Amino acid sequence: MAGNFWQSSHHQQWLLDRQDLIRERQQDLTVLTEEEYQKIFIFFSNLIQILGEQLKLRQQVIATATVFFKRFYARNSLKCIDPLLLAPTCVFLSSKVEEFGVISNSRLITTCQTVVKNKFSYAYTQEFPYRTNHILECEFYLLENLDCCLIVYQPYRPLLQLIQDIGHEEQLLALAWRVVNDSLRTDVSLLYPPYQIALGCLQIACVILHKDLKTWFAELNVDIEKIQEIARYVVNLFELWKSYDEKKDIQALLAKMPKPKTQPSR
Amino acid sequence: MEDKTKRYEKVEFLGEGQFATVYKARDIHNDNIVAVKKIKLGSRAEAKDGINRTALREVKLLQELKHPNIINLMDVFGHKSNVSLVFDFMDTDLEVIIKDNSIVLTPAHIKAYVLMTLQGLEYLHMNWILHRDLKPNNLLVNSNGILKIGDFGLAKFFGSPNRIYTHQVVTRWYRSPELLFGARIYGTGVDMWAVGCILAELLLRVPFLPGESDLDQLTRIFQALGTPTEVVWPGMEALPDYIQFKSFPGTPFRHIFTAASDDLLELLENLLSLYPLKRCTCEKALKMAYFSNKPYPSPGSQLPLPSSIQPNVGVNKPTLKRKLMDSLEGVSQPKRLIF
Repeated sequence: MAGNFWQSSHHQQWLLDRQDLIRERQQDLTVLTEEEYQKIFIFFSNLIQILGEQLKLRQQVIATATVFFKRFYARNSLKCIDPLLLAPTCVFLSSKVEEFGVISNSRLITTCQTVVKNKFSYAYTQEFPYRTNHILECEFYLLENLDCCLIVYQPYRPLLQLIQDIGHEEQLLALAWRVVNDSLRTDVSLLYPPYQIALGCLQIACVILHKDLKTWFAELNVDIEKIQEIARYVVNLFELWKSYDEKKDIQALLAKMPKPKTQPSR
Repeated sequence: MEDKTKRYEKVEFLGEGQFATVYKARDIHNDNIVAVKKIKLGSRAEAKDGINRTALREVKLLQELKHPNIINLMDVFGHKSNVSLVFDFMDTDLEVIIKDNSIVLTPAHIKAYVLMTLQGLEYLHMNWILHRDLKPNNLLVNSNGILKIGDFGLAKFFGSPNRIYTHQVVTRWYRSPELLFGARIYGTGVDMWAVGCILAELLLRVPFLPGESDLDQLTRIFQALGTPTEVVWPGMEALPDYIQFKSFPGTPFRHIFTAASDDLLELLENLLSLYPLKRCTCEKALKMAYFSNKPYPSPGSQLPLPSSIQPNVGVNKPTLKRKLMDSLEGVSQPKRLIF
């Protein structure tokens, strides 16, 4: 990724305020509790991740797809578009935006079908109901709701630079990288610039590995308060994961979720 | 959501390219005149790929770019694979201006065009974007004389050291020698070369190197600039499509561009350096003596326009001819009462 983050649409239009986010979600939160809402987004982030892995996409493409997904619902209720349709649409658009080779629509649909059947049968008893024309129609709706802002900056590159600065730290990089992947299941990508997210995730990785980088962190010229906030989001996610069995609970949650009025017949 | 297809009222057809048709349209919200670029649907197989990649690339980049010398993307609308992009309306382009024999381009005019091109391009390169298709036809000019770089269908991010790019970019006449030799890794130099060719064309009023094939293109380049050796251009022989050319001595620029000033020739030589790494950057070009010496670049309002475009003339003003006819024939046309 290139360009200038500070003048980008990501920085200028798509770093949202936590209060705004809560306000936008009010409608959905009359039906769902905040925790249930979060669980649903964890579920669909997983779905995007697995879909992307099955399609052999780079993590950057998957991350961008996830951010598209979150940006869409930051402005819209879950009942605007079934997330089961929006998720593959985000993958489709992201693979084009990131200049990843062509994913044919038929391959995308087939992959959706097998992923839903083999990996998410605990959530969906019926087969994947959407077809190419649904995705194509949804794609434009997505583009419009993103305000045509397609370039997303991810924490991976700043993370690499930070690790380079610390010194050769293979283990730390590998773990921090995974924490960044996990952070996609929280709201941080909507709230904080990517370099701060990289630092927040790096801090968590240090704690897990009992690595003392206090002096290195102390010398950074960043708002450490923000880094702590990001770390807290991720730690809360870990806590939630521990206390909850997705396989058992997700069907009930999906049933409770606000839905579009019309659904495809199959 | 409002229906945007109704927001833009078609005024007239402007042109057709490989990927799109362009219309002049009126924005009914504010009466502004805009250009609507409707991306062609293509084959049914292409339609299955959803939003056209070229259009998406243009949207993606232009959404991030705001500069007075870069075309401004104002809106996007459409449905499924049927996408339209809304841009500033630009009255003409540099190709039309160069070809219009009734227009005299003074050194000050040429300096203004090159200056605006380089300023827009500097901004692009600062944002790590290569345009890859600069030519007079893509340098758009509005009735205020402002030049904006347009058509970002081939533009791309650069800077990842191991990224492989296609060399089949840039319309042949403006294609740099490294691209013609099949380089897959290249940089801002490809755009700088194109600017050099455009500057030469502004001086000559015909394309500087109008090659008829890729080989002919290289022949013409070397005839003009001299065939390079490994000394002049280290690494040239290792390029994928390198072939040996007859050794031309080259023609001094002074003899080709007889009317050009020394400072202009200095800029031109730096833009058209055969060795890509010695070709100057926008930043360096803009600092050259040419731009601070006299004559100063003409302000937009003093730049020439084709006769078909009249700057800021009210449409309803009666022409002189009409007035004369009226006085000759008395009240020749029925007058309507307008309240």
